[in-house]
Amino acid sequence: MSTEAVVNEEVAAKPASEPLFSKKNRKLISNPLDGDNPITVQILGICSALAVTVKLVPTIMMCVSVLFVLIFSNLSISMLRKVIPSRIRIIVQLLIVASLVAIVDQVLQAYAYDVSKQLSVFVGLIITNCIIMGRLEAFALANKPWPSVLDAVGNGLGYSVILISVAFFRELLGSGSLFGFKVLGENYTGNGVMMSPVGACIVLGLLIWAQRARNGYREEA
Amino acid sequence: MENLLNIGIRSIFVDNMIFAYFLGMCSYLAVSKKISTAVGLGMAVTFVLFMTVPLNWLAYNYIIKEGALTWLNGLGVPKEFADFSKVDLEVLKFIIFIAVVAAFVQLTEMAVEKFSPALYTALGIFLPLIAVNCSILGAALFLPGKEFNFAESAVYGLGSGIGWFLAVVALAAIREKLSYSDVPKPLRGLGITFITVGLMAFAFLSFIGVKLPFGN
Amino acid sequence: MSLNKNTNGYIFGFALLVILVCGVLLAAVSGALSEKQQMERELERKKFILQSSLGDEISGMTKQDIAALYEKRVEEMVLDSNGKAIDGVSVNQVVLGKEYKKLEKNGTIKKGENIQLPIYLVKAENSEDVQYYVMPMFGFGLWDNIWGYAALKSDLNTLQGVVLDHKGETPGLGARITEQKVQSRYQGKTVADESGAIVSVKMEKGEGNDYSNKPHSVDGMSGATLTAVGVNNMMENYLRLYGPYIESAKQNK
Repeated sequence: MSTEAVVNEEVAAKPASEPLFSKKNRKLISNPLDGDNPITVQILGICSALAVTVKLVPTIMMCVSVLFVLIFSNLSISMLRKVIPSRIRIIVQLLIVASLVAIVDQVLQAYAYDVSKQLSVFVGLIITNCIIMGRLEAFALANKPWPSVLDAVGNGLGYSVILISVAFFRELLGSGSLFGFKVLGENYTGNGVMMSPVGACIVLGLLIWAQRARNGYREEA
Repeated sequence: MENLLNIGIRSIFVDNMIFAYFLGMCSYLAVSKKISTAVGLGMAVTFVLFMTVPLNWLAYNYIIKEGALTWLNGLGVPKEFADFSKVDLEVLKFIIFIAVVAAFVQLTEMAVEKFSPALYTALGIFLPLIAVNCSILGAALFLPGKEFNFAESAVYGLGSGIGWFLAVVALAAIREKLSYSDVPKPLRGLGITFITVGLMAFAFLSFIGVKLPFGN
Repeated sequence: MSLNKNTNGYIFGFALLVILVCGVLLAAVSGALSEKQQMERELERKKFILQSSLGDEISGMTKQDIAALYEKRVEEMVLDSNGKAIDGVSVNQVVLGKEYKKLEKNGTIKKGENIQLPIYLVKAENSEDVQYYVMPMFGFGLWDNIWGYAALKSDLNTLQGVVLDHKGETPGLGARITEQKVQSRYQGKTVADESGAIVSVKMEKGEGNDYSNKPHSVDGMSGATLTAVGVNNMMENYLRLYGPYIESAKQNK
């Protein structure tokens, strides 16, 4: 969990006239998409993510849910950052995140019952998705609401990009379909390994390899 | 008794928190570089799981579940005043589970800081993060579907913890060896670790369908 | 901020306020959505019932259409263990998982328990004749609960179709029971032998074999023998439970 890696991106007190999408603010969104990706670089949010990437549809619902929780928790913690007593900081954060997740869960049960059944406990596990707590601690607690929202959007999208790519390969190879449509023909026999957790790990490992070969990121190991 | 042994074996090997559900992956990847830290965090996770799963079982069965609060009527609250058999707090389960876990971890952290400063410095920032270790909340969220009794839930917690411990120590051992290997540069670190975890999960897949030794 | 944030009073006050806000918010959301959630759960049941009996007819239908079709064609009943309808009990009050717990391991009813068995009669279009008898089933697969619906044709012997669902079978192996390709293997099989005694339909071990001449066997799923055993047990148990009703319905024909 490289929380220290994100400290330097804290936005210092800036002039009030700064435009909403200044260069610095745009970076908040674009950085997490590749060079500072929450999953492949910051190693956050892998916990519940891999388990839901068997098919594209539930994966996208998961991404939307995480994005929603991330934006609103970052926003509310950022607004409360001056009044939260530091001693109960973690509990307050968890409480707010848990309430947001409970709301998402209720909404999914009402409007996307099938998907909520497939995601089962993994909706609840958004609470402990390290991306959310990680961004709250590393960014929202020290920054104004608007940059915090942008940071949430950026990280949420960075997370979604990886999740959707993993799900793309897993559904294609595992069930021979995309979004439930059989694209590899009726006779394609699904690859069981891709449906199982093993497939997720290996696909993600290869994706990281490809990404780092391209952008030149290296890890001391 | 036989049932308990079965639940234990299943939660360690078959339903392994890491290899079957990916729960607790963040700290799993972060601390598995050295065996010594891996052992420390593995033990902490095992301990917390062993304690919080039964606690959350109590919370679920006596507070959250539909009709779980009926005991309040038994304690003398008249039915006309409040009929608790119809109260369903399912919507609050996330909050209650996470509150139990967070409170317990806070206490553990204070205890570790006081009694074992060495362990405290070794684990550094990861102790508070046990609260957001998905395996701990995950185990709690699996409870309603499993319909355990109290003893079974304790065994399940312990077994899940041991499974996590085994997984993290095994990965740390592999990664220590791996640092001497000539891995392609872009694959070093996270990439090769994921592929290693995948292969380990592959090995653990073979436990699926194992006939459990103690009756049915 | 003139307030001292580290006094106990402030901390308690703050915590209380946050809890209050979150609690009110959650209560409002769950209150507003509970009716819709209940509807969705019921709709899934209705969809399964129609899918097992009418099959392709309902594919592509909207939720409203399914609910309307169900309203028009399906009659609900709750039976006791003798196959007699219980008055005054609606199918919505029966929780299959709870009823399943009243069974012994071998599928017989535990002593002193009264089981309630819902049954759904699907009428032929524009007529009062029962076209299909749909029976819910519940059981245990390899890892966790499995359930489903079996639809018998009006001869009360030939399977029109089944729908199967599960909670936690192995993805790619046992979880394939939800695939249409697997479920369609049950179509046209018969549940009773020539004398009329119930023998159920078994999913055999191995995959890719031809069972078209064997009325009580269907092709299996490779790598998922134990899930198949669970499905077989479930189907046999429930067909036996519904046996008395099937008998009396046959005689009334």
